[in-house]
Amino acid sequence: MAGSYTVYFGPQHPGAPGNIGFKLELEGERVVKAELIPGFLHRGFEKMIENRKWENSYVLSYRFCVEDPDSLEVAYAEALDKVFRVEPPEKARYFRMIQAEFSRIASHMFWVHFMAGSTGLRTPAYWASAAREEILKWFAWVTGHRVYHNFSVPGGIRGEVPEGFGERTTQLTYLVEDIVKDVEKALLGNRVFKRRTRGVGVIKGDVALKLGATGPVVRGGGLKYDTRKIAPYERYDKVSFEIPVGEVGDSYDRALVRFREVYESLKIIRQAVLEVRRGEPYRVKVPLTAPPGRGYARVEAARGEYTVHVVSTGGRSPYRVRFKSPSLPLLTTVLNYILENEEVTIADLPVIFASLDPCAPDIDR
Amino acid sequence: MVLSTIVKSIEYMLKRPYTRLVPAKSRPFKTERLRGAHLLDMSKCTGCSMCQLVCPANAIDMVEVEGNYPQNPRRRFPRIDLHKCTYCGLCVEYCPFNALYMTSITGFELYTRDKKTTLKTPLELSKVDPSLITVRREMLAVKEVKPGG
Repeated sequence: MAGSYTVYFGPQHPGAPGNIGFKLELEGERVVKAELIPGFLHRGFEKMIENRKWENSYVLSYRFCVEDPDSLEVAYAEALDKVFRVEPPEKARYFRMIQAEFSRIASHMFWVHFMAGSTGLRTPAYWASAAREEILKWFAWVTGHRVYHNFSVPGGIRGEVPEGFGERTTQLTYLVEDIVKDVEKALLGNRVFKRRTRGVGVIKGDVALKLGATGPVVRGGGLKYDTRKIAPYERYDKVSFEIPVGEVGDSYDRALVRFREVYESLKIIRQAVLEVRRGEPYRVKVPLTAPPGRGYARVEAARGEYTVHVVSTGGRSPYRVRFKSPSLPLLTTVLNYILENEEVTIADLPVIFASLDPCAPDIDR
Repeated sequence: MVLSTIVKSIEYMLKRPYTRLVPAKSRPFKTERLRGAHLLDMSKCTGCSMCQLVCPANAIDMVEVEGNYPQNPRRRFPRIDLHKCTYCGLCVEYCPFNALYMTSITGFELYTRDKKTTLKTPLELSKVDPSLITVRREMLAVKEVKPGG
């Protein structure tokens, strides 16, 4: 009989979700407990933002999640709008939605690499990269940068949209949809993928929500929980879209929900793009000093709900900035719940990590 | 299902590749409003230090330059460390005299192990080709001034 022993997993391991480590307690091949070892990427982002002035603090606000920076950018901009008590123009509101949704799609396409890699199906991941590449090109065309766009600022958006914005954006949504359909068919329809993911890492939506998780993990478990519907920000109340949900709550359902979400995001973009017209005002000037008060924003990012809380005491810098990230509960409470209630082997662990899709820098900040 | 994936794979193989060999075979991806290395107009800069104050990465410091600049009696101009710069464009946005621009110079042109070559003095910044300018202050400045949307 195999004895019980302790193994360190990560931070340098192909199956580890980013630069993050685990202390695994094993009984034979079964993983009994996983203790998270975070901190490899800790830079003190919140303090760094507090040490900068209002006008340049937002440059740092989105830099701790490479895959999905725009949801954070939108969240911080919205929190500062509330601190400065300004109402951004409608065009800016709709543009922020397009930006956040494209970022969600790019993030999900990046996730295909992890999910496909952990199940040994490399081919569709490269197609997904093509979709991501097209989105990054669009971002470079509109904002001037590929990854960190720095375009949503307090008071609106930073510049006028380029000529032919509507046509190119709509075209891009159809191009991305074609690629995503191919990827979905090749990945979710594959027998190996189904065997590796069905019944692995089961967690119900209501349990996941109680354990602190949000996003596709909760929706994959069958719970219709989406910040865009329950507490609409920007103009999500003006567009129509569905919340895709899974049934069982296993790794396959979470993957399915992510693909369905991409189609819903494309639907949102096609509706929002009609409201972004050239020539309309896009930004309201905000003062250099903020009035005393608080700003609080919740956004639905690719991995779940981000909340930003900014406190101002009337100075030139924020007094306190706090980010709540969706990734930490995924690797602590949710992961240990799965390990307690299911027989998880070492080989299943990378699949579960990939299907939970945590972002390591987001935990450490 | 596997067969259809193989057919699709062959289709993708026949398409133009998305990856590009930079700099061996192709230039870096450029767009019309790409935020790249800076250009300084020394005939406009008054040495007010606004760019230095607003820079989130502390990439800008003000240095004294030899020569005669009537609008800038202290002859202090920004020196930019392109290794520290995040290319956010705040210096261009906040420059009150339209003296700073951003150009399409980016990517491998800036990549070097010798950090001395990326610390650009004001004279070096002013000698960049003006035809490469991509970002001007008008593109980023606020059009709507009244609060309330």
